[in-house]
Amino acid sequence: MEETAPVQTAGKDEHHPKRDWYDRYYKLLLVLPVVLFIGCLVYLGVFYSQQGDFFIKDSSLAGGTSITINGDIDPTDLESALKQSFDDIYVRTISDVRSGDILAVIVESSATPEQLKPAIEETLGYELSPSNSTIEFSGSTLSQNFYRQLIIAIIVSFILMSIVIFFLFRTFVPSIAVIFAAFADIVMAVAVVNLLGIRISAAGIAAFLMLIGYSVDTDILLTTRVLKKHEGSVNTRIYGAFKTGMFMTLTGLAAVLPAFLLVTSLPDSFRQIFLILAIGLCGDMINTWLTNASILKWYAVKRGMH
Amino acid sequence: MARLSVRVWILIIALIFAALMISPRFSNGVLIRSVELNSTAYTEGLRPGMIITKIQSIPISDSVAYGQALESLFPVGEPIKLTIDTKSDGSFIFLTNSTPELSISSVPRSNIKTGLDLSGGARALVKPVNVTLSSSELSDLIEITNQRLNAFGISDITVKSVRDLEGATYMLVEVAGATPTDLRELVGQQGKFEAKVGNVTVFSGGEQDIRDVCRTDATCSGIESCFPTAEGYACNFYFTIYLAEAAAEKQALVTGNLSLDESAAYLSEKLYLYVDDKEVDSLNIAADLRGRKTTEISIQGSGAGATQEEALVEARKQMKKLQTILITGSLPYTLEIVKLDTLSPLLGKEFLKSILLLGALVFVIVSVILFIMYRNIKITLAVILTMFSEAFITLGIAALLKWNLDAPSIAGIIAGMGTGVNDQIVLIDEAVHDTQSSVKERIKRALFIIVGAFFTIVAAMIPLFWAGAGLLRGFALTTIIGVSVGILITRPAFADILKKL
Repeated sequence: MEETAPVQTAGKDEHHPKRDWYDRYYKLLLVLPVVLFIGCLVYLGVFYSQQGDFFIKDSSLAGGTSITINGDIDPTDLESALKQSFDDIYVRTISDVRSGDILAVIVESSATPEQLKPAIEETLGYELSPSNSTIEFSGSTLSQNFYRQLIIAIIVSFILMSIVIFFLFRTFVPSIAVIFAAFADIVMAVAVVNLLGIRISAAGIAAFLMLIGYSVDTDILLTTRVLKKHEGSVNTRIYGAFKTGMFMTLTGLAAVLPAFLLVTSLPDSFRQIFLILAIGLCGDMINTWLTNASILKWYAVKRGMH
Repeated sequence: MARLSVRVWILIIALIFAALMISPRFSNGVLIRSVELNSTAYTEGLRPGMIITKIQSIPISDSVAYGQALESLFPVGEPIKLTIDTKSDGSFIFLTNSTPELSISSVPRSNIKTGLDLSGGARALVKPVNVTLSSSELSDLIEITNQRLNAFGISDITVKSVRDLEGATYMLVEVAGATPTDLRELVGQQGKFEAKVGNVTVFSGGEQDIRDVCRTDATCSGIESCFPTAEGYACNFYFTIYLAEAAAEKQALVTGNLSLDESAAYLSEKLYLYVDDKEVDSLNIAADLRGRKTTEISIQGSGAGATQEEALVEARKQMKKLQTILITGSLPYTLEIVKLDTLSPLLGKEFLKSILLLGALVFVIVSVILFIMYRNIKITLAVILTMFSEAFITLGIAALLKWNLDAPSIAGIIAGMGTGVNDQIVLIDEAVHDTQSSVKERIKRALFIIVGAFFTIVAAMIPLFWAGAGLLRGFALTTIIGVSVGILITRPAFADILKKL
């Protein structure tokens, strides 16, 4: 296919075409994430006006009962039987990824366990006990409190993260770029979670907090390399950071995705945490290497760095 | 072999410390969780915490074997000689015609405790309706709930107060293992206390009837005497309660109609104490109290045990129990169960298996990726070793803190490992690949990135300690422990190892 290059060119020179290319298009590269970001905002706005909230909440956050029944149970039969008496019934299954066998069925409703449990027992024809099922009930007031507090926690977490970033870099534009990238990560992750129709649990919201802390790693790396390193051009520094950062994110995903794909058995909270982290990390690649990198490059050019 | 640096030694010491904390065990047998008070097994000396290894010389490997062994022996008409061998407390031989009144579980494999969502159990979050409790009122509520659950023979409970982000307080009740079907009633009832003579209520718990209960003053409360009995030892306790005027009058009125019993030392009727209409104790009323209006009543009782020490402990416990219900017996508010979960252990078992598989898989995937990137087996091994150390030390600290690891906590450990790998990639890329700047500058820059990432993740997770009544605290805790172990112990050691490679 390719012949071995007879002459070894100096490493730096190889980047010249790339640098020219980047110098020309870095502002244009900003357009894609900004369009995506605005698209997500619009989607979330529409979503909010329709649902009255930014998330589809599960019973732990909306109030109600979640009953997990162990075993291979037909979810469609159960759902149609329960639909008659509970109009907000929601049934889904947990299955083994490798074999496809149904491990358990989860039934959610805003009804109390006292109402829901007998109805399920009647449909299944046997009694539910702690040995064959898990029953979780959350009162509606408590759930509302939990939800409100977790949203406050996200905001507090974001503010604390921003303070740390400002303290680290002590320059306005680069710090704002990092904070904006983190904000875009959250917005995009929420939009994707809603697009996928995921019913968010308390643990899922906690995953967003972690995402705030986790996703700025690569931004810190990038900003440090560009602002604090003095060797090489800005482009080579960004490119170097890109190589390290992408590698970090990809290993992160490699650790996170099996957790989502393989540990299909309960608790569901566990899988949701990893799913949200995975979605967030994917968005973070865009927001770090297109948004944050472009803003930094712009800043560097304005400041006459090269 | 090159000499190990101080930082590497710190890592090694931390690993040994974690291993000691976790202390894995591979012994067979079943653990006694509770022993029915005053049962034969109890009087013979079987106690919670002992490990049963053999029954009638048949080895007991787990709870299934325990059940089978007893099923083959009981029930029988005539008592048989039952021999129970324990791991480190010797053998117990006694006559019985029924299954010993013990509750058992498998021997924990290590000091790592799993949360209710993995091990099974029940959890209730309880809140008083329309009142805000002071911290002392809340601890009284916790006391009485504990006492009530104990009275119902439920072992392995934790009752504690939790405060959420907005300052609201809740009582969190967690029952491990078997879930009582009546948990809702047990923790949700008001806890009505009544003292009755015959069918007449003389006084009720709480401030209205009882002005004060002597608790800590040695002149009006304490253990009177201990003496041997047929079954072991017993200790008597006493304490004074001070009735309100109205209650004292009522007591005089009711006791005035009573006669003396055969001994002539006490009245013919006893004073019965009820909690939620369930009799918890009965007291003899001294003869000289008949018809007399007295505000000072000495309440007596006893505790029994196989040894004097046990009897003493039991008597103190009984005394505290009575004092508690007299003070707090009748809660001046109703309780609402705002969250009630009964969790099956079945999927938890499946989960732990998957977690081990997942752990192995993540190690393999990350190693392969690292090896492809760096083409260096030593660096790959160093990263994997560091990753493993971090998770292991985090587990050790969790065991030290007696933290119950629930699913989110385990997710936190994995996420912590993820940031750990990220940091190491930064270190490698700065230290190994970049050769233009000085070593000092490169390490300084890498540390800046690592410390920055550390503080952002800690800052991001801190609000979770309070939000949602702290039910997600485990997630924040293990993440913060994980990244702290990373930055304080494993990362410095890794940097030193890297220099040698």
